Parts: sequence; structure tokens; C-alpha cells
Amino acid sequence: MAVFDTPQEAFGILRPVCVQLTKTQTVENVEHLQAQLQAVSDTALQELQQYILFPLRFTLKTPGPKRERLVQSVVECLTFVLSSTCVKEQELLQELFSELSTCLYSPNSQKPAAVSEELKLAVIQGLNTLMHSAYGDIILAFYKPSILPRLGFAVSLLLGLAEQEKSKQIKIAALKCLQVLLFQCDCQDHPRSLDELEQQHLGDLFASFLPGISTALTRVITGDFKQGHSIVVCSLKIFHKTVGFVMADEQLRRLSKAQAEPVVEHRIAELMVHREGDWVKNTSDKLVILIKKIIECVSVHPHWKVRLELVDLVEALLLKCSQSLVDSAGPLLKALVGLINDESSEVQAQCNNVLRQFADQKVVVGNRAFTDILSESLHSLTTSLPRLMNSQDDQGKFSTLSLLLGYLKLLGPKINFVLNSVAHLQRLSKALIQVLELDVADVKIVEERSWNSDDLSASPKTPTTWQGNQVQRRYFRFFTDERVFLLLRQVCRLLGYYGNLYLLVDHFMELYHESVVYRKQATMILNELVTGAAGLEVEDLQEKHTKTSPEELREIVTSLLELYTSQENWYLVTCIETEEGEELMMKQSDLQAITSRVHTCQIISFPAFSKPSPTICSMNSNIWQIYIQLEGINQFAYALGKDFHLLLMSALYPVLEKAGDQTLLISQVATCTMVDICVACNYDSLQDLINENSDYLVNGISLNLRHLSLHPHTAKVLEVMLRNSDATLLPLVADVVQDVLATLDQFYDKRTASFVSILHALLVALAQWFPETSYIGQPQDQSLKEEGSYLHQTLKNNTTAEDIEQFVLDYLKEKDVADGNVLDFDSDEEKLSVPPTLEENDTLPDVEPPLPVHIQIAKDVMERCIHLLSDKNLKIRLKEKLQHFSYHILICRRFAKQAPHQQGLKIHSTDSTQQRGGEVAGARFFGNASETFCPKENAFLSIPIRKEK
Amino acid sequence: MAVPLPLPPPGPQFVLRGTQSAVNALHFGGGAQAQGRQLLFSGSQSGLVHIWSLQTRRTVATLDGHGGQSVTWLQMLPQSHQLLSQGRDLRLCLWDLAEGRNAIVDSVCLESVAFCRSSVLAEGQARWLLALPGKGSDEVQILEMPSKTSVCTLKPEADAKPGMPMCLGLWQAESSPRPLLLAGYEDGSVALWDVWERKVCSRVSCHEEPVMGLDFDSQKARGVSGSAGKALAVWSLNGQQALQVCSTHQLTNPGISDITVRPDRKILATAGWDHRIRVFHWRTMKPLAVLAFHSASVHCVAFATNGLLAAGSKDQRISIWSLYQRT
Repeated sequence: MAVFDTPQEAFGILRPVCVQLTKTQTVENVEHLQAQLQAVSDTALQELQQYILFPLRFTLKTPGPKRERLVQSVVECLTFVLSSTCVKEQELLQELFSELSTCLYSPNSQKPAAVSEELKLAVIQGLNTLMHSAYGDIILAFYKPSILPRLGFAVSLLLGLAEQEKSKQIKIAALKCLQVLLFQCDCQDHPRSLDELEQQHLGDLFASFLPGISTALTRVITGDFKQGHSIVVCSLKIFHKTVGFVMADEQLRRLSKAQAEPVVEHRIAELMVHREGDWVKNTSDKLVILIKKIIECVSVHPHWKVRLELVDLVEALLLKCSQSLVDSAGPLLKALVGLINDESSEVQAQCNNVLRQFADQKVVVGNRAFTDILSESLHSLTTSLPRLMNSQDDQGKFSTLSLLLGYLKLLGPKINFVLNSVAHLQRLSKALIQVLELDVADVKIVEERSWNSDDLSASPKTPTTWQGNQVQRRYFRFFTDERVFLLLRQVCRLLGYYGNLYLLVDHFMELYHESVVYRKQATMILNELVTGAAGLEVEDLQEKHTKTSPEELREIVTSLLELYTSQENWYLVTCIETEEGEELMMKQSDLQAITSRVHTCQIISFPAFSKPSPTICSMNSNIWQIYIQLEGINQFAYALGKDFHLLLMSALYPVLEKAGDQTLLISQVATCTMVDICVACNYDSLQDLINENSDYLVNGISLNLRHLSLHPHTAKVLEVMLRNSDATLLPLVADVVQDVLATLDQFYDKRTASFVSILHALLVALAQWFPETSYIGQPQDQSLKEEGSYLHQTLKNNTTAEDIEQFVLDYLKEKDVADGNVLDFDSDEEKLSVPPTLEENDTLPDVEPPLPVHIQIAKDVMERCIHLLSDKNLKIRLKEKLQHFSYHILICRRFAKQAPHQQGLKIHSTDSTQQRGGEVAGARFFGNASETFCPKENAFLSIPIRKEK
Repeated sequence: MAVPLPLPPPGPQFVLRGTQSAVNALHFGGGAQAQGRQLLFSGSQSGLVHIWSLQTRRTVATLDGHGGQSVTWLQMLPQSHQLLSQGRDLRLCLWDLAEGRNAIVDSVCLESVAFCRSSVLAEGQARWLLALPGKGSDEVQILEMPSKTSVCTLKPEADAKPGMPMCLGLWQAESSPRPLLLAGYEDGSVALWDVWERKVCSRVSCHEEPVMGLDFDSQKARGVSGSAGKALAVWSLNGQQALQVCSTHQLTNPGISDITVRPDRKILATAGWDHRIRVFHWRTMKPLAVLAFHSASVHCVAFATNGLLAAGSKDQRISIWSLYQRT
């Protein structure tokens, strides 16, 4: 396109046009010139710059009214020339600058002339281009004190345009131009960065405009949302760039050192600002007001780009002016922190970036003042938190808590600084406790029962871990939104992550003890603290400097576990009805039982001997308490991982006990906890977990059996354990079985029912553990099954009166036999025919070969059962018999088969009689009587129950 | 106000199971410096020595070195990883347990089947004295270890006839390097031997029945002994090396199989044939507690340096108790 490369050629073309324009100043001539200029190359144009500019400037300068159209085209032409050339002379720049800026003013009035929008735009662009076309050195020389009036004029002109114009285009252009004027242009044409002295020089100059610029921009920013986001974005940018430049700590610090004032003429000197301490103080006081206004308005701006710019603003100001604008730091940080959970992901990301950057550069941590400000903000926030939680809607609560979370994140390791102050810690903890208050009015929780508690091992066939599972929904008094809860959790975890764990745990344990009202919340918080301390699922910004060592964590968890599973916190009243056995016990009405219930029910302190009737509400609360504590154990396991192995000895028993709880919620969460413990400690299945830790369980069981009235569920745990273990358990469990039997001997009247089921479980286990060696495994299982199905079949049969009669007759006969009246049985001859001969063994002569342990146990159990055959309670009697004898016989028969010559069975003739008596009785049960007997079981079971009630 | 339910009597802190045979000897090892890795050694009727970790409450290792014959005494040598075990197979084995090893490095043959437990006086790392029942039924043999050279044989004077030694306690006064031996005899007397001079310094008859166990507090120069009878005897040693009975304490049921003073000399515990562990205040001998847990006679009691009490019983269980802990 550039046809005319050399200045000579170009001059030849342009000369007539320029002459023409100088003579007659019309729009056509200007346009003609511009058209010709298109064909001139940039280098040629540069040579001829002054020459071409002359007619244009002449046109502008001719006195008298001018047509707007003409001025506009001249300005456009000028702009074109400037855009392709450089201004190399100081005077030219100054003159052009004032000529352009006066275009919009009528010569004799102070106000901007009412000119067309096109002209305004043209002038603004002209100015913009002019500033860009100036050489770097020239432009620096341009900004000297003497230019101040002219520059001020332009600045106020542009601000006026930005503020008052209707056209969005003009507004934006004006703002962009302003940006250029203030040396903050972000385009690529300013490669050279300013050195310190230059910066300072410029800063001094711009300081004069700072009040005007900042107030005007604030007006623009806080204006109507409808004016369009780009204007606000632009204004925000100029605002923070200007403020950040003039108030930069770096410049001010240097200024405070002695500085030689440049000599300027008097009028100008008045305009100049000296940025001394006082000025900085005053300015920053005023800026705080503006910044607060801006933040208030912009942080809720509907457009995300505006909020994004706000993040930049905060970043710029906090990074550059952390000292000069220290008073604004509070609002600025608050704005930043509040935007962390912005709905726009861009804003969120940017926010996180900035926060991370702050953390990396230790803006907060390394700055005492900021820490103070933050902890102050935190304090006031926690003070108002409960009130806000009461009054705000869920969205409001969410943002309030986001703010809290943000503060904590920013404080990072400095949290301890806050926590060490008692007042702060109190506020924070009370606020959390209040917010986390649970709503415990739901009746359903208490109602729901787990009936199949027996099938612990069967229920979670597919191990689903807690973390993957949806947690039981809990209802909070102050919020319903799940997100709020997640935020609170994150807050607690963060506290645990950065904070002094000992201090925090200590504090919340105190609250736990302080009142039942706080207990559940404190437990929740403690759980999260531990998870956080382990660094799990914590969104951290900064590395914590002191990591809690695994040993410390384990120590803390141990003490928490002790707290949770202590007698008064673990055995809370969760239901009114008691088990069948306990019902009996209650009937006995021993005062102990009642008082112990009062003792354990913490919620209501009823007067001493009134009827203990916990309300639904208190039971619900208790259920949640246990739930949360179980969940805590779950989280501890998660937090400690393999280290949790060492805690199994104290944790496993209580959890297993709760897995058999009657309340559905509790048994569910306990089962979940078991599964998670499996995961944490690397066990393949629940069965493995129970089996491999049966020694710990046995320990708990045996210790609790000693105080059965306080630990009524011990029996159940033993049952579950027996069911899930193998023969290796036997040596461990042998003494416990003896304990059980001893306890049974003591409590024949009270808890027989639960004992009978233990004994049953024991015998089933024995039968499984010691299968017949001749038919290994399957046949025996099968025979068990057959028996089972047989029973079922017979149960289905219809019963007739004759059946019942027959049953009663048979039953009486059996009872006789079982009681030892076996005189007319044919066992006499057998007894005679087997004299107690001793075989020669290689054992020491004075030691009798003992019975194998399992046979011994079976024998002992059998002895007890014989007594139970005459129990007052028919229910126990029947249950007992039917369940036991099959297994007894199975075990004994097998033993006899395996070792027909063992002396064990024949040593004590009385024993063998009993045993045989039992065997015979059992055999007859299943031999001839069972068909008629079994169907009645149910009929008989129902009668005494009704009577008892 | 409701009368608060009296708390149930405290149970043991935990119970160790799995020896599968009566527990005859207990000894804590590992020392205070390895708080977390404290160990408990138990010797059983079946000849096995189990090493328990008190942290996991499980056996770490099992030592089988007595051919199925009951282990009667266990002792760790101070500042080393060596364990002494005495068995009814007439052997005294020295085990090396350092770095997970468990091998017999040395053994001494006993010359008589006695009930008497041995005793050790370690003067330093390199040299230590061992007192063990000697060849004659009433003799005590003193060996210098590890060279196994016999120092002397302590044989009571011909007219004394104290019967077999039942329990031994080698010790050394702080003031003099002279090793002394306290021995309880079958006739119920306790004798103080001067090992270097091979003579009885003093003898006191404090029980009707054979002495089953004794322990001596060298700081207070006071000792206590229990017998098959119904009494505990406290005796003291005066400046002239003469034993004199201070007091006796009647027990409800006869039979003490072991007696130990806690390392901090605050309390002492006895292992009773009546299945109970009794705890006394050592200075005043005031009875403090009767711990009922075992279902057969208790064979041995031991204290750890941190105050934990362990008791082993014929019912194959070892109960661990935490009593009057210093806070």
C-alpha cells in the first residue's frame, strides 16, 4: 500500500494538499489529506510529521468559532498521523496535548462545551494516541511539575466524561485515556519500566490528583449496576493502580528519607503535594472510607468480572500498600476472604491464587499488624456469629461461615496466636458449639429398631466405607443446608490442622464435661479436630510449621477414646423397653438397677426415686450422642490408619457392643465403624477383624462380666465373637466360658435368657470348630442344616389337641429323665460293665489325661442346662432345651466316635450318668417327641409372656 | 438426692491370656526408657517363657528352653538384653534377646530339684553373682557369672536344720561392697548370710510354715516375708547385722506364694493361694486392697518400674493392675 517510500516523493504528493488545507479549512480538504496520507509509508511520514501537522494544528488554532465537524475530522486526521509516527520533541508534545484537550472546551466558559459525542470520542482517542506516540524520554520529561495545571485539566476533563457521559463507549475511552495519562497503561507499547527515581517523581505528581481521581472513580464504581460491568472493571483497575502507585510503601519509605525539593515556581508549588507522614495519614483515612464503599458495593456486584477485578484490587493494594493503607487491610481482607466461595469458579480460583500467594509471601504471617487485624476481625465475627446464625437465611449463613473459614485459612499457623488468648478461644468455641446445635425432636430415630442384630457378620457383605457413604442426615437447629455443615466441618478441621491440638482438645473436652447441652457439638468438633490434625481432607493454603507427630495424635486419640467409651458417656439410655432378661431383672426391682439408670441418664435429673422415664427427646439426644461418638471412633481410625491397631484393644469392644444395639441408627453406624476400622487396619473382613482381635474382645468381655448389671450387653458381644471366630479362639475363651458359667450360677434367676443364648452360640461354635474327623466339614454342616430344616418343617405342621396332650406327657417324662430319675433306664448294665480301668500312657503316672477343652466345656454347659430344665420361666426352659441338645449330642457323639477308648468319659461315673442322661433325653427329644413337641413351642412361648405382662 | 451407686470394685487394667498353662513366674523388662515398648516375661507350667508387649498386649515371642518343665523364675539382667530363666528341668538358661534374637547363650545346671527361686546380684555389666539352690538339700550355692566359677556354698551349721532354702535374696548394702544373702527356709526362718565369710550373720524364726517368698528394702533395712501360713512377717536389720522381727500381720486365708515391694518402696503386693492379690502400705503395713480376679491360686506378682502390677495365676491368666499411680 505504501506507495511513497521516500520523504521526497511523499512530500511531492502531500504538499499541494497541505497548502490547500492551510488556505481553505474545510472538512473535504482534511479528508483529502487523510486519504493521501494513507499512501505514505511510516518512515516518510515520520520525516514529514511536523510539516503535515502544521496545517492541522493551524486549523485548530485559528480563532473564532469552528464547525464541530471540521474539528472532529482534523482531530481524527491528527490521530492518524500520530498513530503512525513518534513525537520526538518535548514542545510538540506539550502543545499538542493542550491543543487537543482544549478542543472540548469552549474558550470562554469553564464547563465542557456541549459538543457532539463523536467529537468527544475523537478527542479522547487523539489524546490517547498522542500519549502513546511520545518517545519514552520525551514523555518522562513531559511529566514535570510545570505541566501540572494542564495535566490536571485533562484529568478532570476525562473524569468528568467518564462520570457524566451517557455513552458507554465514551466512558470507556475516557477511562482508558485516563489510565494512559496516569502512566498505568497496560498495553505493550511501554517496554521500559521506570526506575525508582522516576517512579517517585511521578508519584509526587499524581499525588495531587489522587483525591479527585479516587472520589470520582468511587462515584463511578458505586454507580448503577446497569451502567455495564466493563466501566466498573475499568474504574476499579484505575483506582487500584493509581492508589497503589501513589501510596506504594516502597515510594513512601524512600520519601521519608530526606529529599531535596525541586525548585519550582510559586504557583505550581502550591499545587504540588508532599507525601509526608501527615499527608499519608490523612489520605489513607479518607481512602478507607472510599475503599469500604467500593467493597460494599462491588462484592455483591452481579457480574463476576467485577468481583474478579475486586480480587485484583485487594491483591494490589495489600501487596503494595500494606503499611500506608493498614487501616483498610481489614475490609480488604474481609472482601477477599468473602469471595473465596464465590459462585463463579473464576473468582474462586483467582481468590485462592491470591490467598496462596499471600501465604507464600507470608503477607499475613510475616506481618504482625495484619495478624492483629485478622484476629480482631475473627473475634468480632465469632462474636456476632450466633446472632447471624439465628437471623440469616441459609445463603447468608453460608457466606458468613465462608468468611470465618477464610480468616482461618489466611491466619494459617498464626491461628495459635488467636487461640492462645482465652477470650478469643472462648468466643470461637462457643460460637461453633451454638451453631452446631442439633435438633433432637425427631421421634423416628428412637422408634427405629434393629431386629436382626444377630446378623452382624452378614449385614455388610459389601464393605462400604464411611467416607463414601452418605452419612445419616442430621438436623441442626440453626440451618438446614448441608453445605453449611460441610463448611463448619472444614472450619473445625482447619483449626485442628493449624492450631495447637493439645490446647483445642483440652478446651473442647472441658466443654464436653461442662454441660450436656454442649456435649454433642463438642464431640463433633473434637472428631473433626483430630481428622484435621491428621491433615486429611483439609484445604490448606500454607504449610503448617509443626506437624502433629503420629505419637502425639495417638495419645490424644487415646484420651478421647477413653472419654467416649467411659461408663457414663457410652451407656446412655436410648430406649424404654428393655430386653426380656432385663425386664425380669426390673421386675425384681432391685433398687440398684433403677438408680444405676438414673445415674447413667444424664439428660434429666429426676428426683431420686421417681420413676425413671426419660423423655423421647432425651433419648433421641442420647442416641445422637452415641452416634457422634461412634462416628468419632470411625474418624479416629481414618485419621490414624494403621496406628489405630494399638487402640483396637480399647475401641473394638465398645463398638462391637453398639453394633448389637437395639436402636437402628446406632447399630448401623457402629457396623459402619467396624467396616472402616477394617479398612484402616487392613483387615479383609469384619470376621477377620473380630477373629484376629478376639483376645482384646475377650479381655473386655471378661472384665465386664464381673459387673453384669452395669454391662448387660456383654453377653451379646460374646455371642457375636463366638460366631465370628474359629477354633484358635478356644484357649482364650475357655476361662471366659468358665466365668460365664460362674456368673450364671450366681444369677440363675435374673439373666438366664441372655446366658442361654450365649451357651447356645458357644455350642454351635464348638460344633463348627471341631468337625467330625471322619466326615470333614460338609456332612456336619449339612446335618445341622437338616436338623434346622426339620425343625422348620415341623413348626409348620398344624397342631391338634392330641398333639398337645402328647407333648405334655412326653415333656414330663423327659423332665424326669433329665432330673436324674433314670433308674429304670437300661444304662445300669452299661455302668457295671465298664469298670474304671486306666490304660498305661506315657504321661506322668499321677496325672489323669484331661478331657479336651471343648469337650470339657460342653460338659460344663450341659451340667448347667440340666438345672435350667426346671426353670420357672417356661420360655427359658423351652428355648434352652431345644437349642442345646442337638449340639450337645453332636459334639459328644463325635467325641465318642473319635476316641472310643478315651478314659475321659468314664472317669467319673456320676458325670457320665449325667451326660448320658442328657444324651438320652436329647435323643428322645429328636427321636420321638420332637414332631409333636416342636410345634407347641410357639404356643407355649406366647402364653407365659402374656401372663407376665 | 439419689444416693450415688457405689462404684463396682475396680478390675484389672487388662488381662493377658494365652499361656495355656499355669503362670509361675513374671518379670517386667524393657525399662523405663522404653516406655512404649515395655515388656513382660511370663514363665509357665508348660516350660515356655512368653514375652508380652504391654503396648499391644500380645506375645512378641515365646522361648522354649526347658523341655516342657515348669519355669519357676525369670530375671532380666540390668542394662542388658539378657534374660535368666530357671526351670524344673534343672537348668538355668541365659537368653540373649537383643535385636529380636532369642537364643540361649549359656546355661547352668542346677544340682537339686528344689522349689527355691534363684537370685541375682549384678555389680556391673561384666560380673554378677548368682545364688541358687545347691547340691545338698539345705545348701545355697553362689556362682560368679558369667564365668560360672563357684564362689562358695552356704551350708547351715549341722545343728540348725532349717530344711531346704525356699527363697533367696542377694543384696548389697550401699555402704559396703559385701554381698549379703537373705534366705527363707523350710522351717519358717529367715537367715542373713555373709557371702564372703560364708557364715550366717543372723537368723530369725518368723513363720511356723515354710517361707514362700521374701523381699527386702535395703534403704530402710527392712524386709518382709510370706509363708504357707496365715501371717506376713516384717523384719528389720540393725547396725550389727542382726535380724529382728518388727511385726507380723495376720491374713484371712493361709498361703502366700510370692511377695514383692514396689520399686518406689511405697506399697507391696502378695500373691495368695486364696486367689487374691493383697496390697499393703509398705511403711505402715496397712492393708490397702484385696484384688479379686483370679479363679485359682496366684503364683507370682511383679511390679514394673512405672508402678504397674502384674499377677500370674494357676488359672492361666496374667492380670495387669494399675494401682496408686504416682501422678
